[in-house]
Amino acid sequence: MRARNGENLLIEMDEVTKIYTLGQTRVEALKGISLKIGYGEFVAVWGPSGSGKTTLLNLIGMIDQPTSGRLCFGGREITSLTDNQQSDLRNQAIGFIFQGFNLIPVLSALENVMLPLQIRGEKLARALPAAQKRLAQVGLGDFIQQRPDKLSGGQRQRVAIARALVTEPSLVIADEPTANLDTTTAMKIVDLMRELNRGENTTFIFSTHDQRLLAQVDRLIDLQDGLIRGEEYRR
Amino acid sequence: MRTWFKIALRNLKKNRRRSLITLLAIALGFASVCLFGGFTQYMYDANQEAAIYGRALGHLTVFKQGFLEQGQLDPARYLLTTEEIESIRGICTANPQVVMVTPQLQISGLVSNGKISTIFIAHGLVPSSIDAFMNGMKLFKFLEFEGRKLEDDSPYGVAVAKGLAKLLGLKVGSNAVVLSTTVDGQTNALDMEVFQLLNVDTEFLNNKVMRVPLAFAQQLYDTRGADRMVVLLDRTENTEPVFKQLRTAMQELGLGVEIKTWKQLSQWYQKVRDMFDLIFLFLFVIVFVIVVMSVVNTMSMAVLERTREIGTLRALGLKRRGVLLMFGIESSFLGVFGCGVGLLLTFMVRAWVNFAQPTWTPPGISASVPLKIILLPSYMVSSGIALVALCVLASLLPALRGSRQNIVDALGHV
Repeated sequence: MRARNGENLLIEMDEVTKIYTLGQTRVEALKGISLKIGYGEFVAVWGPSGSGKTTLLNLIGMIDQPTSGRLCFGGREITSLTDNQQSDLRNQAIGFIFQGFNLIPVLSALENVMLPLQIRGEKLARALPAAQKRLAQVGLGDFIQQRPDKLSGGQRQRVAIARALVTEPSLVIADEPTANLDTTTAMKIVDLMRELNRGENTTFIFSTHDQRLLAQVDRLIDLQDGLIRGEEYRR
Repeated sequence: MRTWFKIALRNLKKNRRRSLITLLAIALGFASVCLFGGFTQYMYDANQEAAIYGRALGHLTVFKQGFLEQGQLDPARYLLTTEEIESIRGICTANPQVVMVTPQLQISGLVSNGKISTIFIAHGLVPSSIDAFMNGMKLFKFLEFEGRKLEDDSPYGVAVAKGLAKLLGLKVGSNAVVLSTTVDGQTNALDMEVFQLLNVDTEFLNNKVMRVPLAFAQQLYDTRGADRMVVLLDRTENTEPVFKQLRTAMQELGLGVEIKTWKQLSQWYQKVRDMFDLIFLFLFVIVFVIVVMSVVNTMSMAVLERTREIGTLRALGLKRRGVLLMFGIESSFLGVFGCGVGLLLTFMVRAWVNFAQPTWTPPGISASVPLKIILLPSYMVSSGIALVALCVLASLLPALRGSRQNIVDALGHV
């Protein structure tokens, strides 16, 4: 399961760089990252602000393109894929949990969770029970008809988790998933993610500063100034 | 698909003020196009009626070959003889679409009340055929007359345009004299009695026009012939096919005649049509600009406000064309609802027109006519489809901009 054994690789990055150009300024967000992540890992990327955590997750999640280097997902070189192919791959294999939840405000919790399946073109008869099951799994079975503005921060993040998992992805990417939550709610969310990771062998990669979350991870990647300064395997 | 419809509808509802303003712009545009289209159709139909029935052109007119070019210079040579009239009548009446075929002779000369003389042009037709023409007048009913009908048995009883009657001080029952040259160039004069005072559809002819029995016209020109045979059909739509059938039949018989449709003879109709087509185009361009600007503005705002949403959906796997579809659906709803409200407005205005029955005097016409709006369902449906398509197309520009945004930038949009 673990990448350090060199087997069952989900993500493989080789000398990946990302350079942003803002007017005259050139910012090297990632300066040559090489990284391997296996199926079922529960990985945290941590580091100070501006260290490149979010950029790294964006590249892994195929919502941004590396400037150079090789990036493979499930053995497929993703930099050579077209935009449509990347969209399909994101929809099928990756779930996103955003810091700001990013739920669609005009849709109910249930409709938000069904969304990735409907983007895929699943019929309502298949999407509905899958979404209901995920919402029940995150403890929101009684709130399925509520719109996001009627839900608390923790409930919204649970909906976001249910939405990320409804397609049964190989990978869930979470950018600061507990940043906007109080301690109790944050702990519940961490426990939930851990439980889903163990129960369904779903790989979780998240960026965080949250020590409560770091205590739960299998693997910690320390990122500083766009470079991996160290890695620690906890289990 | 249902989800995208839901998102579109709920977003429109969420931004109800903005949606309402755009919707009203579309509704007013649609109603303008429908109402003006309905008025244009009324003008087409009324002018068609005026040409076929009011001016007694009929649907088809048969002339001797060359009459239209040389007939004025040598009338004797280009009149249809009685034999030719009967042959044409025989061919025409054999066609089931023909309801009437009648000879006519147009004359001109001087008319005098004994003190004043003035020029006239007169239409000589068979009095018993006049009803068939007048019954076809449904929209421009101003051609009604004062006095009594012309009669086959009273060849000296004539109809005089009101303007001409006023000029000569003639009333119903007055007598006057007409003077002209016969087809052989001899001077001829006839007494006449005013049976009718006519409204005519062309203002500049109001002081010149008379309608006389064919026998009167023939007597004045000293001929038994006619310069044309007018053919009236059961339906105007049958003009072209019957035109071809009759032309073939007459050519086969070697009659030496030419046949013209009412459209070929009525340049006025074509000019009116061209003018209204141009005005309609102008109006449609204005509506086009208003609708496009409203929709582009609304959709640009929507794309801007929902940039994070676009980023989220793209991250979840929605393709660029999915973003276009999402805003396209929203825009098409605006178009459909706008056209729905516009349709309601159209019916309300038409109901008012039917109730109030306003009249107006078209340019060049000597009497006021009722204003009508003739709504054609096929035209309204095609206008509606065109407007909805326009709305969708107008949304593409902002939606395209939204769909091409970098996902990370879109997610970070505040």
